[in-house]
Amino acid sequence: MNAKRKFLFRAGAIVILLLIAGAMFIVGRGHTVFFDNKAIEYNGQTYAAPYKVVVIVDGEQAAKLYDKERGKAICIGQKFTMSLEVTEVKGGNEETSTITLDLPYNMDGIIINMPALLAGLPEEAYLSEFISAPDETEEEEVVPDDLTLPEDITNPG
Amino acid sequence: MMNKNEQKISIGKKIGGFIRSNPVPMMFVLICAVCIPISGFSAGYLLNEIITRMGRNIFLILSLLIPIMAGMGLNFGMTLGAMAGEIGLILVADWQIWGIPGIILAMIISIPLSIGLGILCGNLLNRAKGREMVTSLIISYFMNGLYQLVVLYMMGSIIPIKHYSIMLPRGYGIRNTVSLLNMRQSLDNLLAINIGNVKIPVLTFLIIAALCFFIIWFRKTKLGQDMRAVGQDMDVARDAGINVDKTRIISIVMSTVFAGFGMIIYLQNIGNMPTYSAHSQIGMFCIAALLIGGASVDKASIGNVFLGVILFHLMFIVAPKTGAVITGDSMIGEYFRVFVSYGVITVALIMYETKKRKAKAKAGRQLELAQTGEDKQ
Amino acid sequence: MSKTGNEVLELKNKSKISELLDRFGLPRLIIAGFLLLLFVAAPFVGADFTMQLTNTINRFSWNAILVLAMVPMIHSGCGLNFGLPLGIVSGLLGATLSIELGFTGVMSFVMAAVISTPFALIFGSGYGWLLNKIKGGEMMIATYVGFSSVSLMCIMWLLLPYRAPTMVWGLAGKGLRTTISLEGFYDKVLANFLQINIGKLSIPTGALLLFALLAFLMWAFLHTKTGTAMTAVGSNPTFAKAAGIKIDKVRTLSVVMSTWLAAIGILVYEQGFGFIQLYTAPFFMALPAVSAILIGGASVNKASIPNVIIGTFLFQGIVTMTPTVMNSAIHMDMSEVIRQIVSNGMILYALTRKTVRSR
Repeated sequence: MNAKRKFLFRAGAIVILLLIAGAMFIVGRGHTVFFDNKAIEYNGQTYAAPYKVVVIVDGEQAAKLYDKERGKAICIGQKFTMSLEVTEVKGGNEETSTITLDLPYNMDGIIINMPALLAGLPEEAYLSEFISAPDETEEEEVVPDDLTLPEDITNPG
Repeated sequence: MMNKNEQKISIGKKIGGFIRSNPVPMMFVLICAVCIPISGFSAGYLLNEIITRMGRNIFLILSLLIPIMAGMGLNFGMTLGAMAGEIGLILVADWQIWGIPGIILAMIISIPLSIGLGILCGNLLNRAKGREMVTSLIISYFMNGLYQLVVLYMMGSIIPIKHYSIMLPRGYGIRNTVSLLNMRQSLDNLLAINIGNVKIPVLTFLIIAALCFFIIWFRKTKLGQDMRAVGQDMDVARDAGINVDKTRIISIVMSTVFAGFGMIIYLQNIGNMPTYSAHSQIGMFCIAALLIGGASVDKASIGNVFLGVILFHLMFIVAPKTGAVITGDSMIGEYFRVFVSYGVITVALIMYETKKRKAKAKAGRQLELAQTGEDKQ
Repeated sequence: MSKTGNEVLELKNKSKISELLDRFGLPRLIIAGFLLLLFVAAPFVGADFTMQLTNTINRFSWNAILVLAMVPMIHSGCGLNFGLPLGIVSGLLGATLSIELGFTGVMSFVMAAVISTPFALIFGSGYGWLLNKIKGGEMMIATYVGFSSVSLMCIMWLLLPYRAPTMVWGLAGKGLRTTISLEGFYDKVLANFLQINIGKLSIPTGALLLFALLAFLMWAFLHTKTGTAMTAVGSNPTFAKAAGIKIDKVRTLSVVMSTWLAAIGILVYEQGFGFIQLYTAPFFMALPAVSAILIGGASVNKASIPNVIIGTFLFQGIVTMTPTVMNSAIHMDMSEVIRQIVSNGMILYALTRKTVRSR
């Protein structure tokens, strides 16, 4: 009886930990979101960039974008909410809207095209993956025993 | 009037007694008292630094307490837990899990690794009773080699690692530093309070407090009592029906798991991880801090941990600057603090061994006396 | 009838093999097998065999005396001398002072040995006195005595008033450099003495002769009255006490011998290597020496000269062979990591053997 209870207790603990771990996988996935304020062509139609877009994430201004500018924000989790203050033409009225996006899990960097998003086009039009070029300049050789203090003092040979 | 005087005397005596019974912390109070004015740091700066370092280090040092309770001395094998924590962080960085979820996930990953390493370490130490400390030191060196084998050669080639930011350009192995920028101080900043220029990481301190209460509670449980019995005398404990070897293994496993958590807390505060050297320094500095707080090889309390962190890190901050002011060379201060760390461990070990030897000799004499007494009868 | 006889024989053989295995130790067998594999594999992956052999012999000549320094303390029951860096520090003091005083060439080596001797004697006696106070906990204290002495000397190398321009930092004009070239001083003085060259194979005769001399002296010493007393103290202290041997004195003597040998050992190492390495370099120099003698068949309380020779050869063989063979075979230089695992694994094995009880 006691052994059985012990086993159940342990199994329960492991299951709970696994559940938490699974939740963390979903909740904690980080993304970098880039905003492009750039004209886009979709299905033969051109969507022009507005004069100015201000992106507000979590109550803080993440980017203020004029034509052909890019800004970025980070997002933890797959739900990304932002407020946009759009000024179509110079001196025109500001239109404020709040947009929530579902970010794809397996993308580290995500580019969102503002004109396409504002025009209400489908996801494939406004969302694309940002692939950063691996910086080859940062070629570093790992030396297990590097001779700087105090690392080498505690790195036994 | 009389009463007050008496009180004064007794307080004076108490302070004198405290100084005499805690020579090591007193020495460091003196060192700091001399060094702080010379270094010229402001009180606000020092306070802020100390509080940051307390949040960063205390959890790690607390992980040393349980093996001391079980009579296994200073657990140099805590490095193993630190390695487990680091492997958790590497994987989390590869999966791009950020912020507090990343920290929690890394901790969960470190648990099975720490338990496995702890069981291994505990079993080896059971084969080396009486010289646990030197053995645990060598275990940490040996495991450092295995860690390098895994992280430098297997990760990316056997263990799937795909994120370019942490992998070496050659296609396998982890870079010299892994950036934890996306979880940097996320634990410390949640619920943080700013008083003037001093930031107090409340959540980190709450976690530390939880571990402190756990240790206090654990001492009173059946297992905790068993551990203390094993620490007092293994033969007596065995006669009392305690499974000595198992109890010792459990104490090491607990220490290793806590060390893994502690390392993750430590590294999230720093914000980047020196992949191949972070763990190797940590054991020595934690043990030195604990001993400076007045602990000995066979006795350590939570109070020792807090006092030790404050004194050790105060010295750590001011020593290079003081050395630079006095001699014009900042390296002297850096070497000085390393020397002090090693020196204080050496002195503590010598004090412990002489004490043990004296007690043994006394017991031997008593036994002899008892035997001659029996002979006469 | 014959069948059972065979069975008995087989059984006997089996027990013999397992006994041999037991005595030889599994890790030692693995290491010897590994080295054999390396030697066999070397020609196939295109590594030059004679070159490898030359390197192994050279490295043997650098390190053998440091390994020999383990012997006296193991004999007297003080365990593995993890405090070797203390002796190394004495050797470094001798080396730097000899150069500071202006000696060059062969003379600088002789003077380095002469100057380091009093340091080794003083440090060694203090260390021995300390180890007598803490019988039973020698190895842990020894480790930390080594660490403390090296970190103290880190400060000293900066502060001591050395002036020789070849040794101090050029810009500041004070404070010793981390590595000091021995060119013009005693670089390869022993190795070049009576050096034998057969094709590509070159043998550093002088260094090997010095080791042979010291090893012979050690062997002879262990057969003198004091030497046997030392072994007695190590193997059976109660008996030794009853026989009227002054245990503490004998133990101190063994520690002083070990420290002095370490001082000479580091000088020989430097003449082969060509550089003096100061500051943090000596920190972990004890570990390779400790594991070498263990690989050679010694245990925590038993060691002989053949252990030293076999162990140093096996250990240095692995150190020299793995990088080249590994690199040409799988294009991964894992040698540093393998060396760490092998050397520390061997020490760990020796410390955790159940049969060897700590006293």
